[in-house]
Amino acid sequence: MELWIALGAVALLIVFLVSQYNKLIRLNVAVDEAWAQIEVQLKRRSDLIPNLVETVKGYASHESATFEKVVQARAAATSATAVPDVAAADGMLTQALRGLLAVAENYPDLKASANFLSLQEELATTENKVSFARQFYNDNVRALNVAIKTVPSSFFVGFAKVSEREFYEVDDPQDRNAPKVQF
Amino acid sequence: MSNFRALQSSNKRKTFFLLIAFAFLMWAVAFAAVSYFGGSGAAVVPIAVGFSLLTTWWSYYSSDKLVIRMTGAQVLQESDNPKLFGLVQEVCLASGLPMPKVAVVVDDAPNAFATGRNPEHALIAFTTGILDVMDRDELQGVVAHEMAHVANRDTLVSAVAATTAGAIAIVSDMLIRMMWFGGRRDNNSNANPITVVISLVVMLMAPIAAILLKAAISRKRESLADATAVDFTRNPTGLRKALEILARDSTVVQQRSNAVAHIWIESPLDGKAVSKLFATHPPIEERIATLRKLEGNL
Repeated sequence: MELWIALGAVALLIVFLVSQYNKLIRLNVAVDEAWAQIEVQLKRRSDLIPNLVETVKGYASHESATFEKVVQARAAATSATAVPDVAAADGMLTQALRGLLAVAENYPDLKASANFLSLQEELATTENKVSFARQFYNDNVRALNVAIKTVPSSFFVGFAKVSEREFYEVDDPQDRNAPKVQF
Repeated sequence: MSNFRALQSSNKRKTFFLLIAFAFLMWAVAFAAVSYFGGSGAAVVPIAVGFSLLTTWWSYYSSDKLVIRMTGAQVLQESDNPKLFGLVQEVCLASGLPMPKVAVVVDDAPNAFATGRNPEHALIAFTTGILDVMDRDELQGVVAHEMAHVANRDTLVSAVAATTAGAIAIVSDMLIRMMWFGGRRDNNSNANPITVVISLVVMLMAPIAAILLKAAISRKRESLADATAVDFTRNPTGLRKALEILARDSTVVQQRSNAVAHIWIESPLDGKAVSKLFATHPPIEERIATLRKLEGNL
């Protein structure tokens, strides 16, 4: 009888240990997946830029300073890898693109062109996707960091080899709020 | 109610209690059946539950295909409407849900719905009217509301409610027939007359109570979907403006079938015709007011 009770207790303990371990691993994988989504969306945006710059250039060729900014920001965004660097480059590129689209406002022919309109919609949705991917990533980081800091999952941190992750923080106050794009 | 997270957990809690109330109602009906008819009354219950399970399980399992047929929705490819697909992909990224099937219903009345047995088989549909009349932000709110139904598995919740309500309706119907044709078991004549009266009342009232509970659950799920939509987009303004457009609009979806009324974002049934207690949706003004409060403290 005592043997069965002891065996039952051990079995329960094992179930508990495994579930805590798995919880940390699952949260960690979720953060990785969310990060991958951000990278996919940043890449998509980056791919849109040459086309956009060419289109705007066709109508407003002398705004070279604005184009230069966008191209530089894009190059910086492509080379960044660590979370804070990617976030900073992303913020800069967002600013540069806003500048480009503000320039476009002054050219009615450009604004009316079908090519520009479809690029604008594509950029709007990609910009939203970037910020939603960012929000989803931060939610996942929050869940992981809470699990790492709170009992009982905190006891298994070393065993599961997970560590606290960095939030994706953007300085632009306009970006912090709802992902709303007003081009 | 301070923020969308509090709203979400409050609505989930209320759904839970309503489901408990449903289980209690089922139990009361079974109890009434046994106390009135004895053993033969008890036999009715499993038959009714089984029959109800069979019919609703099938419609739950094939809900995406069934609803396409009932509403005449046409499933879209990305090239048909890149803007709408972009919006849906945005909400998928925000929620971590897989990409659903996207469909349109050719109808001038602005409305939308979601269905499907799980997120992997989800279908969200929009009327051509809603696509014409709403701007990007408003449409994003509507998409988020529909994806919230998918995330909260509301097809399953309403299937559970429909099964229970169906079973209760069948039981009370069978028992009332037994009353007319068979009468009570003779050897039960020493039963307490008060128990007999209570049993009768329960049997007669249960189907209406079940319909009310089903409607209450549907209303809670709508409020929950609004709160979850804000969780996804963090932009209550878009959905609030969208609901304001729906509130102002007086055109109504052509199909006014009761069977699919609960799945639309705005009830297609005339507001005056159904009393508040039987309504599948909370009053739209109430939903707008709640979203307005969320705009204040996000």
